Formats: sequence, structure tokens, C-alpha cells
Amino acid sequence: MGSLFDILDFAGIGLGRVQSDDEMTVIPLVGGDRGNIARPSSLKFERTTGYGSMQFSNEDDKPAIVPSNMMVRGTGGQDHAMSGCGIILAKSTKSFNDACCIEETQGGMLSAEGNDEDILPIELRKTLLNYGKRTQKGYSKLWNDIKDWLRGMNLGRDSAHLRYFYDNKSIGQALEDFAASFEPIENQIGAVIMFNGIPVGIEIMPSADHWDAYWQHLLRGCYGAELLRMKKLGKITPSTLILPDIPEDASPAEVKELLTEFSDHLREEVIPALERISVSDNRRIGSITSGLETRMVITDSGGGDIILQDSKPIYISLVL
Amino acid sequence: MSEKDFQIDSGMLQFVPKGAYYEDQNEQIKAINDTWSAFFNYDRTLFCLTTLLNGTGFSKGAMSHMLLSNPQAVTGREIVPAGLAFDYESKVIMYNLIKERTPRALKNLLMLAGKEGKRRVNNSRTRHLILEYVFNRDHHELDNLAINYKGKLKTLIRHALGKQELTKILFGDHQLFMKRIGRYHPDAFPVMCYVFNRPLQKNVVYTRFAKIDQVQELSKAAKAGDVDSFKKHMKGLPNLTVMGYRNTYKIPVELSIVYEKAKMGSRQSLQMESAAKKAGTKIKVNYKNQDIYDLWKAFYHKVTIGDQSNIKEVIEAIRFKMDSKKKIDIGEVVIVIDASKSMQGSDTRPLHPFLTALSISSMISNVKDVLYVGGKIHPQTDGVIIPSGATDLWRGLVEAVLTGTKKIIVISDGYENSVKGLFDHVYKHFKKSGHDFELMHINPVMSADAKSGTVRKLTEDVTPLPVSSHKYLETEIIFNQMIENREIVKQLLIGKYKNLIGG
Repeated sequence: MGSLFDILDFAGIGLGRVQSDDEMTVIPLVGGDRGNIARPSSLKFERTTGYGSMQFSNEDDKPAIVPSNMMVRGTGGQDHAMSGCGIILAKSTKSFNDACCIEETQGGMLSAEGNDEDILPIELRKTLLNYGKRTQKGYSKLWNDIKDWLRGMNLGRDSAHLRYFYDNKSIGQALEDFAASFEPIENQIGAVIMFNGIPVGIEIMPSADHWDAYWQHLLRGCYGAELLRMKKLGKITPSTLILPDIPEDASPAEVKELLTEFSDHLREEVIPALERISVSDNRRIGSITSGLETRMVITDSGGGDIILQDSKPIYISLVL
Repeated sequence: MSEKDFQIDSGMLQFVPKGAYYEDQNEQIKAINDTWSAFFNYDRTLFCLTTLLNGTGFSKGAMSHMLLSNPQAVTGREIVPAGLAFDYESKVIMYNLIKERTPRALKNLLMLAGKEGKRRVNNSRTRHLILEYVFNRDHHELDNLAINYKGKLKTLIRHALGKQELTKILFGDHQLFMKRIGRYHPDAFPVMCYVFNRPLQKNVVYTRFAKIDQVQELSKAAKAGDVDSFKKHMKGLPNLTVMGYRNTYKIPVELSIVYEKAKMGSRQSLQMESAAKKAGTKIKVNYKNQDIYDLWKAFYHKVTIGDQSNIKEVIEAIRFKMDSKKKIDIGEVVIVIDASKSMQGSDTRPLHPFLTALSISSMISNVKDVLYVGGKIHPQTDGVIIPSGATDLWRGLVEAVLTGTKKIIVISDGYENSVKGLFDHVYKHFKKSGHDFELMHINPVMSADAKSGTVRKLTEDVTPLPVSSHKYLETEIIFNQMIENREIVKQLLIGKYKNLIGG
């Protein structure tokens, strides 16, 4: 089916300067707005209407996008996450009845206020790349995966409460510190995220406003959380980028040149890495509404969602 | 406590009693009290003299309270360090009170009367301090003080004199009045009567206090609901006093008129500039009297909301401050300012780290160059940099070294990400290859209680200096040396005492 790079349509997207913190490297993707999509502030989580059902509203006169696997954690009800991404038409409200409960033994419904929002961590997102599971209406469908994900971190009882992780004081602080190490740059609409030099995610939003609204959910809640878990479980080799040797007699001007080349090289490395990822499945999810089409893409090691508007990709969220 | 165990940092001079996320106010106050006690017991002279450095009014008030609670001389044979007067503590405390803004100075004195969560202290030193601070000022100033802070003065004077002496004075004991108050201000009896709501004797001629008379007329007009008379008497009176009467007695005077006719403090006028504009009026702001941080803040606020009014005046005032401010000279220096996105600060204190960085750079003299790393030019301006983007601070270090300077100051929150570790890598290369320069990393932290060991480093060889406000830069530099070079620091502070206070 070709390489991932061919499908993504990077026309009009540039690469920003590489940012890194220990094992994680982020290559910012910069560009103009990619679609005619509602401002992120128009999208609101309204409530859970039942176990496994999340309701969102859009007050804009353009359609809005709910980012893939968005999770909502509140104090008054059972925490939930989306099984994929979502589209809310202009000036309307929509319930997603294939959502997942992520807090096994808690009862009650979430309301609009007082919630924390994030995106599910990578490994849990990957379990929802199974088409059957993703579209299944069953609020408990992620419980076993959450238990597996939490196992080994000694965070509490053996139940599927994802908030055991996010509410842990030291983990919360570590995630905040981690997110603070990265900064959105001007006109940033997305990023390629790598662990130890290997791409683990590609995120492209419809506009820089969207990236501003969701970058922390992604870098802290999704990628940062997964990296922290991997470190806790010893599943990743501690590393930092190998910095280039600077000859002892290099003048300041030569140092500048050498390191500028190094930064540019890091940035350019990402393109062949994406070209090496092949796509095994690329199918439409649901029907085309208001010119918007959702597709699920499966790659060698992961996959995710792409939303096209008038056949052009405007939203991409893939875990690899 | 042995010197080995003793630890100190400048947070003790910069304390503001606000509960932080993980620590409630009581825990914070207990912790800071322990720090003050430890320092007081370690070296009382240093403890006293450090209050001459910039710090928060609350810290200075609490430290003065501690000094006044403990007699300076117990045996009468205590040795006062050379260069200091025998009553240097009282002089330092009075100097600090005078330098402080009036509301804060009064709050600090009120600590002695058992307010602000402090224990009551009443002795000869506190009595003299209170009465001298209140009455040892010219006629006009005393008039203003009385109408602005009537309630506070009432508490303070009653505390200093005691019930018995106060009653005697108010009922006409002239000799006692002259002994306690008249020594500072012989004509102040009408002020005493105003503060304690006593009528003046009819058969005696007193020196009048114009503002006190005016407030009494305003009060009469408000109580009678006489709008014309109210408008007439509000002119030139403090904004807060006028607003108080206006709101209490529901006098129908438009806000815009109050802003225009009533008087505001210098800082209040800058803070109220936007509110006054919204209310449809203009207030006159004396920009040159403002603090450099407030000026930068006003400048960026105007830039952000696209308000061009008075922007030239603000810029002129910043230049004026940069030229005239007493600066810290550490020799020729190049300053690298981190202008990346993370320097934007939080929603509650937008731009605080960046504004602090600008203010710090304005405090340093002999600056060869200022280099910004990251940031972008605000689209509606001609070259105004606003924080944005990633942090490749290594570029700033290389550029600074290229200037050939021997001293480099980097002002950054320490979040280096493009890419992390390159700054340290480049710094070590320069050091190893024999480039001769000193590096100081100043971290413009959000909270004054940040310790030097807890803020982010850019390179493992340089301990960052956390600075929450430009006002504390000198303080930070001194505290950094406090333990290792105790006597040198003491001499430095004695020198500062002589400069500021005299003998």
C-alpha cells in the first residue's frame, strides 16, 4: 500500500528545529492552516450520557474535530476515553457510544465542568487500532489493557483505573516537568515524536491554534506518560542524544557551524525514517459528512486516524 | 547551631505569605520563622544588616519584629561591631520603614501591636519607632497620612501611648503631648483629635490641616447626600477615600469623575490606567516614578492589546530608569536572554520570567551587548521581541564568546530543549579549549522561595542564581557568599549601612 510518507501529504509542511529531552525527541511540523475547521475553543466535552458514551458540542459554524483517544477524567463520575477521533458538525452536539470507561469501579456520570483532559498513552491507543474493538459498544473493552498497562508500577490496587497513574503526585510532577521541556514554536501544527531516535508518533492538527490547544495533552498525557512508564518498567534504554565531538582547536565560529549542521541533520533524519514505515491497511470509518472523511491507517507497528476534508488530509494522529 | 549545619538563602528576605500548591500558608510561615530564628541566632548583626538589602516588606517587618522583641543589649556590655552606631538596629529599622511604601510600613508597625499574625511587643524602642514614624514628618505629609490611614494610626498611637497616656493627651495634658508627640511635631494636636474623633477645643487657636478639614467637609456632604458639595470637596483627595464615601452613602457621582478628580498613588495610577480608560477618562501617570518591572509590564501590556497611547512616554521612562538607576557593576558583560516560549510565564503571572529578565538586564551596568535567543518580533511593532519558540541557548553562548567578553550572564529558566545538553557541551568545550570567561546563570523564577539547588541548571559546573525579582539581584549575589565569606559580607553590609544611614 506504499509508505506512510506517501499517504500523509506533507505538502506545505516544514520541519522546525529539533527539541529533545533525554530519550524523547520532537521535530516540530510547521505550516499554515490545513482545513476549514472550527476553532478548538468551540469544542466542549458536555457529559457522559451513559457508561461508554461521551457527548461533545460544537458552537462554531464549522465542523469540529475531537482528537483521537481523548480522555476526560473528572471527580464526580467514571472517567472515559474516546475509541478514536470524532467529528462534530457545525452548531451541534454528538454522542459517541463506542467510548471506553477507564475507571473500572467508579460509578456516576461526568459533567462538563472540573475535568482534566489528556490523550491516552501510546500502548493503549494501539489496542484500539483493532477495528472490531474500536467500533465495539462496550464500556469495559479497555479494562484488561489498562490493568496490563498499569502492572508493575505499584500504583494501587489491581483495577483498571488509569487515574492511579495520572493522579500519582510524583508522576504528575514528572509529567509536568517533562512537558515543560518542550515548547510550541511559531506556526507549529504538529510534530513527529521519537523515542531513542525511532518515530513513535506523528501528530498533525488542522491549525496552529489546535496545536496550541492540544500539544500538552499529547506530549504529557500520551507520549510523556508512555515514556515515563517505559522508564519505570525498564523497557527503554536510558539515553540522550549523542552530541557531536567538537575539536579542541575549533573556534567559536567553527563551533557554531558544526552544531548548526548537527541540528539540521537531526531534523532531516526524520524523512527517511518515515519513508521506511509501510502501510498495511487504510480504510474509511463511517460515512463522509460535510466533506469530511475519517480513515483508519494501520502501519507495521501501529497506526491511527486521518481526517480528510475534500480529499486532503487535515488531521493526522498516528502512534507507531 | 554549628556553622557547618547552618544554611541560608535569600528566600528569607523575599517572603510573601501566600499558600502555594503543595504548602499551605501555616506551613510556609512556620518554615520561614524557623529560618529567621536560625539566622538571628547565627549572627544578629548580619541578620539586622541584611534587611538593608532589597526584600519584601513583609519579610523586613517580621525580621524587625524579631529584633524589637529581643533587647539589643542585655548586659550593657555587648560589643557593637566597628562602624556601627550603638543604636544601629533602630536606625536600620527606621530607615527601612521610611523606604517602604506607606501602607506596608504601617502594616509592619502594626505587627508590633499584635496584628499581621504577630505577638504584641511594647517597649521603649517600639514606642519611639511608632511615634517617630508617624509624627516626624512635615505638615503636609502628616495631613496626608492622617486622611489616608486614620484607622491604622488609631491602633498604632493607642498601642504606643497606652490607654492612660492617650486619654491624658486627648483631654489636654500639653506637657505630656510635647514629651511624646510634640518633640516630633509640635502642631500635631489636631491630627490626634481627628484620628480619635475628638472635637478641638473652641477657645484655642490651632494650626489647620487642610486635607483633614476637606475630608470632614466631604463626610458632611456625603451624609447629607449633597452631590454638588461632594464633587467640590472630593478634588485632590485620595481615590480610595472618595470611593469609600461615594459607595457607602450611594452618592451618584460617575466613576470617570472620581478617577479624574481624585488623587491616586503613583503605582495605583499605572495599575488603574486601563480601568480609567474603559470608564471613559484619562488619568495622568508619572511614568518616570514607576518601578522598571512595572514599566516593562505596562509596555508589553500596551503592545499586546495594541494600545499606542503614552507608549513613547513608557519607553522614555524605561530609558530614563536604565540610565539613572543605581546599577550593579560586575565589569564588562554580555547578557544572553532566553526568549523562548517557556519564558512566557503562567496565566496568573503572564510574561513574568521574561519581564524579570528584562528588568535584571536593566539593573546591570557596563553591558557590552544583549543577545536574545528565540523569541519573535511582535507583528504589530517595530522590533519588540516576545517569547516564542524553542530554546537553542547554545547559540547565545557561542555568540557571546564571539564578542570576546570575559563575563557572560545568561538569564534563562533553564529549560533547554534544542537540543538538551548542547549548552553544557559547548560550555565545556570553550572551557577546555582555554577560552577565558566567567558564566553566571540567573534563573528568573516565579516564586521567591526557590532554592539555588532546586532550579534548573544549564551546565553542571555553574550553579544557577534564582531571582524572583530584579530588586533582589544584589541580595542574591550577597546571600550566595554569606556562609563562605561571612566577615567579608558583614563588612560589605556595614559599608552599605554607612552609605545609606551614615554614622
